[in-house]
Amino acid sequence: MTVELDHISKSFGPLTVVHELSLTVEPGEFMVLLGPSGCGKTTALRMVAGLESVTSGNIRIDGRDVTDVAPKNRNIAMVFQSYALYPHMSVAENIAYPLKIRRLPQAEIDRQVLEVAAQVQLETLLKRFPRQLSGGQRQRVALARAIVRRPAVFLMDEPLSNLDAKLRGHMRAELKHMQHELGITTIYVTHDQIEAMTLAHRVAVLNHGRLQQIDTPHRIYDDPANIFVAGFVGSPPMNFVAGALQNGRFEGPSVSLPTALRLTKPGVQLGFRPEDCRIVGGGAADCLSGTIYSSELIGDHVLVTCRVDGQPIVVKAEKSFDQAMGAEIGIQIPASRTNLFDLESGARLRSGSP
Amino acid sequence: MSAPQSVTARKSFFESRRFGELAPLSKVVVYGLLLVWTVVVLFPLYWVLITSFKLPIDVAYPPKYLPFIDYQPSLHAWRYIFVDLGNDTFRPYSNSLIVASISTLLALTVGSMAAYALSRIQYRPRLGSVVVFILILAAVVLAVAAGGVDWRLAVAVGLAIFLLALRTLGRRFKRHLGNGDILFWIISQRILPPVVAAIPIYVMFQKLGLLDTHVALIATYTTVNLPIVVWLMYDFFVAVPKDLEESAQLDGASRFRIFIGIVLPLAKPGLIATGLLVLILAWNEYLLALFLSTVRAQTIPLLVAAQNATRGPQWWYMSVLIIIMIAPVVALTIALQKYIAKGLLLGAVKG
Repeated sequence: MTVELDHISKSFGPLTVVHELSLTVEPGEFMVLLGPSGCGKTTALRMVAGLESVTSGNIRIDGRDVTDVAPKNRNIAMVFQSYALYPHMSVAENIAYPLKIRRLPQAEIDRQVLEVAAQVQLETLLKRFPRQLSGGQRQRVALARAIVRRPAVFLMDEPLSNLDAKLRGHMRAELKHMQHELGITTIYVTHDQIEAMTLAHRVAVLNHGRLQQIDTPHRIYDDPANIFVAGFVGSPPMNFVAGALQNGRFEGPSVSLPTALRLTKPGVQLGFRPEDCRIVGGGAADCLSGTIYSSELIGDHVLVTCRVDGQPIVVKAEKSFDQAMGAEIGIQIPASRTNLFDLESGARLRSGSP
Repeated sequence: MSAPQSVTARKSFFESRRFGELAPLSKVVVYGLLLVWTVVVLFPLYWVLITSFKLPIDVAYPPKYLPFIDYQPSLHAWRYIFVDLGNDTFRPYSNSLIVASISTLLALTVGSMAAYALSRIQYRPRLGSVVVFILILAAVVLAVAAGGVDWRLAVAVGLAIFLLALRTLGRRFKRHLGNGDILFWIISQRILPPVVAAIPIYVMFQKLGLLDTHVALIATYTTVNLPIVVWLMYDFFVAVPKDLEESAQLDGASRFRIFIGIVLPLAKPGLIATGLLVLILAWNEYLLALFLSTVRAQTIPLLVAAQNATRGPQWWYMSVLIIIMIAPVVALTIALQKYIAKGLLLGAVKG
């Protein structure tokens, strides 16, 4: 089902946490709301659920305006960060709860609970209570309870953040597979950009309650709309150097290199990803010059932190990279891989723009 | 070799071997104090028990401690209470059972719903409206009592003026009261001892013709115990995570269903502890019962006190009555103890 947010805003007194947020989630789409804590993503999700009132704007699910509809009448299921399992009910009773409220016949409830439990590998744990389960198992119960009634929309509020790193990776894959299998429209909130990139069909990046960019993970990564998105997505994040554009050449204190833009403009930030640049010998032309600050072997690559004008610049180098700390180097960036941003507004500079 | 050993020996006397275990010396002191206190608590019960089997002559000085050795136990007091008094014992007893249990159930039902509402819904009554209400109420009462106005007329006019004032005067005062104020107002009802209101309560039930009835006692006890229930249950409801209720809401449950199906079961330890406390208060209540009941609705504490009447204190009869009076409370407490166990909320969120 389609979920449309039409200029929704949310204010708590004088504080506005969501500004005129508009986005459309297509049927069966996995939409991730990504942003730092306090950016309004959870509030936006809770507004879709109906747990938070909407200050202005409209929410439509499958074309029906649900802005003032009670949560229970929105046909929505939600997985909470805390899982919110009912501690006095067994796993089976927890999963059956939404069906029991809908007054389904007991035989039908039992059948559906078993079916869903099998889907999330909980068949053997149905008689246990939440307190007797591990974090991953609780997570599965919460998922099962959400999918058992085939909701129109699935909402997830950082469902993986309470799991340890290994389990998180595993559950991420399971979640993605299950969403694909069920084909239910999903809105997923996270501050973890890796989760966002791996799970989403499309990512909506939020900051300070405003939508920054909404696009596929590829384009969010390769073609960020502004400096916030560029800096938030990617690990390690994008490097930035301040300077000016001189007829298409980026000029900084210890930089001079060609870019993809044919512009002249003062007050510009040059951005480039650690994997897009290369370390060359000191004194080479068309590059940033600096010194090596430290280098860390990660496994399949080496992360080299350089100092350029006292600023750290991170470069992803070959596994075989081996240069002493303090060595004079140059950093070469292909013109096509440079991103330029307005120093003041943070907006991306593109070839059409003034 | 011997010196260090004696040092460790002395040390182990003052220090515990493991964290979470008392040092030997502390153990002796702590358990010693607990034993002394146990004797202090249990000895009166023992004394009541043996007194109930004593003849009047055995109660006299010097005290007799051990049945069969110091004196020959007798069942005369028990026979008097159960056979001679008979219905005069059983009627107050059943009165107490009815009044205490029904008033406790009522107080728990109404009180826990009020506490839940206070813990979840933000109330913001305007201070102006509250003041206006109190003033108009006072005026109505004055008009009826002193002015001789027909009460129906007075109430209707008062209500009309109040509604008008709500729309005009009430809006002018911007100050709000919050849930905390309401909660304090409720518990403040209990700061005033109920005795202060005993005479007005007596007159009220007299006018209604309800003196010496179960209804009067049940209504009074429910009212007196309500603030305690609200105050105690509020804390238990606040401790139930909101996520659970939001989840149930999305699962399709109504507010009332969430209260019955999710919140109450999770607050069960609190509900039972509060229920026991309120039940014991109602069961032992003496002063209001003295005002409100005479014969038909007389409760058991009154019967106990009555044994100290014209013939002087009848210790042996009193002891029998005290034993049958505390027996059900003790039994109930033991039966419900396991439900007061903690840890019910474990596994709800994170963990």
